[in-house]
Amino acid sequence: MTASPEPYERLALTTVRVIDAPPGQVWKAWTDPARMARWWGPSGFTNPVCEMDVWPGGLIWIIMRDAGGTDHPMSGRFREVVEPSRLVFVGTPQDAIGKPYADNVVTVTIEAEPGGKTRLTVHSDATAFTRPGTGMLDFMEEGWNQSLARLAALED
Amino acid sequence: MVHQADPLSATLSALADPTRRAILARLALGETSVTELAEPFRMSLPAVSKHLKVLERAGLVARGREAQWRPCRLEAAPLREVSALLDQYRRFWDESLDRLEAHLQEETPDDRQP
Repeated sequence: MTASPEPYERLALTTVRVIDAPPGQVWKAWTDPARMARWWGPSGFTNPVCEMDVWPGGLIWIIMRDAGGTDHPMSGRFREVVEPSRLVFVGTPQDAIGKPYADNVVTVTIEAEPGGKTRLTVHSDATAFTRPGTGMLDFMEEGWNQSLARLAALED
Repeated sequence: MVHQADPLSATLSALADPTRRAILARLALGETSVTELAEPFRMSLPAVSKHLKVLERAGLVARGREAQWRPCRLEAAPLREVSALLDQYRRFWDESLDRLEAHLQEETPDDRQP
């Protein structure tokens, strides 16, 4: 047996967007808790608690509230803070009784684009804490996402 | 120590192997025999049978009992839960970043100074 939990379930994805705002403003949206609280989470979610201490090793503490009123807490720490271009943090979401269930390593890259725009790249790599020795599933394997959706859509 | 896995974990564990995923992809084309299934994989029948047992336990494959060759067929239902998990993860980021863009557009010109 290993001493630490061995991950078997892994979800990773990269999203790239060109945003009509300068890099400095995009950086503030990610590092000023009052601003972050206004957009973090899917539509219909609010963030009644959003605290962050933006330095390498600094704490992140966010409580997201869904439209049904259920809270989704997440604690975490910053790993890298390179203003205004790179931010790496690990977020650890917790279930309803406060038990952590995954580590999500988020890498944010902010690059200037012509015309005062910004290229924002978010790479999110989540690893669930689960039973050791069950192998690992990497959803990023090429083509597998599409295959999965197609297989899942088949009628029984 | 034996852990009782939840159905989603069982599905994910079964999918965490390229051969088993290839078997599922083949079965998506229609039911077939173990012998036919083994052909493209250059594997022994017992090796393929072992993979099939894992897939059966996860509810991803069903074996017919009517014919002597016991045809294998895909059971797609457990895959929907995995697909939904992936969709949920993608939706978190798509919708968060939509809101980030909307937030940035709402800010005053002072905020827009780089």
